Amino acid sequence: MNALSRHRALTAIWGSPRGWRGTVSSVNHSDIGKRFILAAFAFFAIGGVLAMLIRAQLATPGSAFVGPEIYNQLFTMHGSIMMFLFAIPMFEGLALYLLPKMLGSRDMAFPRLSAYGWWCYVFGGSILIAALALGVAPDSGWFMYTPLSSKAYTPGINADVWLLGITFVEISAVAAAIEITVSILRLRAPGMRLDRMPLLAWYLLITALMMVVAFPPLILGSILLEVERAFGWPFFDPERGGSPLLWQHLFWLFGHPEVYIIFLPAAGVVSTVLPVMARTRILGYGWIIAALLALAFLSFGLWVHHMFTTGIPHMALGFFSAASALVAVPTALQIFAWLGTLWKGRPELKLPMLYLVGFFLIFVLGGLTGVMLAMVPFDWQAHDTHFVVAHLHYVLVGGFVFPMLAGAYYWLPHFTGRARIPLLGEAAFWLILVGFNLTFFLMHLTGLLGMPRRIYTYPDDMGWTWLNLLSSVGSFIMAFGFAMFAVDVALQIYLSRRARRNPWGAHTLEWAMPVPAPAYNFASQPRVDDVEPLAADPELPLRLARGEGYLAEIRHGWRETMAVDVTSGAVDHVVILPGNTRLPIITALATGCFFLALLFGFYWLALPPLAIVVALAWRWAWTLGWRQEIGPVTIGAGETALTHREAPGAPGWWGTIFLLVADGTLLGSLLFGYAFLWVVAPNWPPPELIAAGWPQGILAGLAALAGTVLTRLAASACVAGNNASASLWSALAVGAQAIVIAALLWLGIAELPAPTGHAYAASSWAMIAYAMLHAFIALLCAAFIRARIASGHVRADRGLETSVAQLFGDYAGVATWLILACVLAPLVLT
Amino acid sequence: MMLLARASAGLLFWAFGFSVLYGLHGIGCAYGWHTMDIAGGNLFRWVLVASWLLLCAGGAALIVLAKAAPAGLERRLSLTSAVVGCVSTFVTGVPVAVTSACV
Repeated sequence: MNALSRHRALTAIWGSPRGWRGTVSSVNHSDIGKRFILAAFAFFAIGGVLAMLIRAQLATPGSAFVGPEIYNQLFTMHGSIMMFLFAIPMFEGLALYLLPKMLGSRDMAFPRLSAYGWWCYVFGGSILIAALALGVAPDSGWFMYTPLSSKAYTPGINADVWLLGITFVEISAVAAAIEITVSILRLRAPGMRLDRMPLLAWYLLITALMMVVAFPPLILGSILLEVERAFGWPFFDPERGGSPLLWQHLFWLFGHPEVYIIFLPAAGVVSTVLPVMARTRILGYGWIIAALLALAFLSFGLWVHHMFTTGIPHMALGFFSAASALVAVPTALQIFAWLGTLWKGRPELKLPMLYLVGFFLIFVLGGLTGVMLAMVPFDWQAHDTHFVVAHLHYVLVGGFVFPMLAGAYYWLPHFTGRARIPLLGEAAFWLILVGFNLTFFLMHLTGLLGMPRRIYTYPDDMGWTWLNLLSSVGSFIMAFGFAMFAVDVALQIYLSRRARRNPWGAHTLEWAMPVPAPAYNFASQPRVDDVEPLAADPELPLRLARGEGYLAEIRHGWRETMAVDVTSGAVDHVVILPGNTRLPIITALATGCFFLALLFGFYWLALPPLAIVVALAWRWAWTLGWRQEIGPVTIGAGETALTHREAPGAPGWWGTIFLLVADGTLLGSLLFGYAFLWVVAPNWPPPELIAAGWPQGILAGLAALAGTVLTRLAASACVAGNNASASLWSALAVGAQAIVIAALLWLGIAELPAPTGHAYAASSWAMIAYAMLHAFIALLCAAFIRARIASGHVRADRGLETSVAQLFGDYAGVATWLILACVLAPLVLT
Repeated sequence: MMLLARASAGLLFWAFGFSVLYGLHGIGCAYGWHTMDIAGGNLFRWVLVASWLLLCAGGAALIVLAKAAPAGLERRLSLTSAVVGCVSTFVTGVPVAVTSACV
């Protein structure tokens, strides 16, 4: 088969139909990645318009441009859009588009999950924007502090829009995090050891792992606050044993790592683009990875520095102040590695490099003011002033927007296949740089002069007038710059000449393909022996196009890609990915109906869409797999490998592991909340504690143990080829999980006080609900296994599904035991 | 996965130690340990300082263990993680010895 026929055959397999059918059914990572990027930029534009309205309001004292109600919505939505609808999705889009190409793979590990995440993002984002257009947007600040966001002070649906809309959008973030993690760990080109991965992949891997554990506290906090608002369970109401500080802890447990989750992918772009611009290799590859790891961990020990003025004891402030100062060290190490790379190389001041220079200038200033704010006495002075606004914009715009603009210009030829029109981009850069510094540098001064954040107007005699006016002028200059960037990109797409392949002379694998990239990425997958494969073998693109790599053979219309050993990069198995389908959009629509029903308070009407989501999830899993054994398949180079359904450690198993890590973090946050309320909240001990419940607790505990053991027995019987026993064990596991649910419900109804009376009862009920939900999931898994054994999909040589069911069974058992220990603890301790 | 596990071990230990100190601080303040005088100090200070020193010793032990990692990137990441973890445990724990307890 020649290169052209292979291209046509692969395009037929990996491509998407034209028109709306392709739009709703494509699961290809390039399509989804591009959509994420475009939508994120659209949301960025909306957030930018809101920022201009804010600056128009603050340009002069006593302005009547907008009133306080609208102003509150403006700054809340500006922050929420930029954090949740722009920054994270933009990085997700870049990761989805680029990762498989950089790793020498053909797609991500879970293409349908990518598509589901995309639709959740766009539907959830639309809910927020629709609320803004209707004048009922969230208005309590992007951090939604209680009690301001509680029912008493925000009686409308504004806060519900945030809590439900953002949670809906966060489904896509968690999905992307799991997808990115598994794809990097397993779906690389053969030979690509971990220490040969491109640095961007390291950055994205660590970012994704951070997301897996950072987002669950926010999701939990949102659920608890929504339940408080909807049903009166007083998690955050101090009069009934709740604590507004619990919200702040849960929010900032997410919120501070979030800053690094936004910064690290952009830093990965810097580490990728900068050596190419400097025409050399990156300096300190290993040290940068070490710094990344340190940064990732330390960033989880800083959250209380957002709460320095809440009255927390000095010793605790000291812990977090020290950690906040420490985190500057690994950040500085990266800065020095980049400066060293520039020093070592021969830098060219092309447009991406201009943006990187802007990044250095702005981000370092933002980092320095961050160290200032990490010091408790200074923070007490500057807290909630415009100094903090200036700091966070220097960090986020400097640390994310400027590197992403560098990346945009660097990879645009890859997206469009076209070259840039000269000079327009340079003009946009200078407008953005000057406009940004004029806007935000002056905010340091207004902040130090005492101007608080989130005020909609100020009197003339405060001395802030001319600084605010100049800030507003700067913001409009910056906006012109971004508009010019958009025009430049549009001109490149529609009018510019075609780009040559690899216009920068880069050495990473995404440039080993034609531009724009074909749907399948690589006609055959490379074998990688160097961290810069194109430097080691400049002829690699041609050889891959000729089919001289892995998986050049086209068979059965399969979407095939290689999976490798995590560390060594040795060939492990072949993953056969699912094709285009409408399941993701239909599932996202049903999920959206669930959230909308909750938003409008139709709680019973939320149940049918939930049931539909469960049915679609069943269908989702059912459409995979085969009833017959495939055995080893040829992969090229005289080698063979099993397919993923017949090999241990398939992506589905890994994805479940990371899903359960996220789930476990949510449970850990719930237990933390319970302990926090017990120890710190006012109005404890509660008026009424659990008085009995051993029979129900013992029954639930034994049934949970039985459910776990029976699911394991079913998996073992399957591996041994004893299908009849496996079927029986899984049926019994279904029964055991049903008993767990019934016993937990009995325990709650019979022994716990009403959840509306006190935060103790509310948190106990929340834990019971968590355990019941997970017993139900384990029940579904066991039932699914039984059905798949009956249908012939699960056999001794096809054990992926039983191993996944076993993981859910084990997790449900452990979670139930932990929760029973917490719920029944008062019986022992009091 | 061993590479990632070794590369995270020292930092995970720091995270564990940080959580232990913060948790003990909350519990100690809630139950009035700082009002219980023992051996020239108070229970709160003794518990926190002893925990901190133990954690520092644990961090130092991890540095020794990290030297046994396979050569190359894996050893470099393991050692760096262990050293950073130990130093961070020391630095972030210093407040247990020098600041007021529960005010």
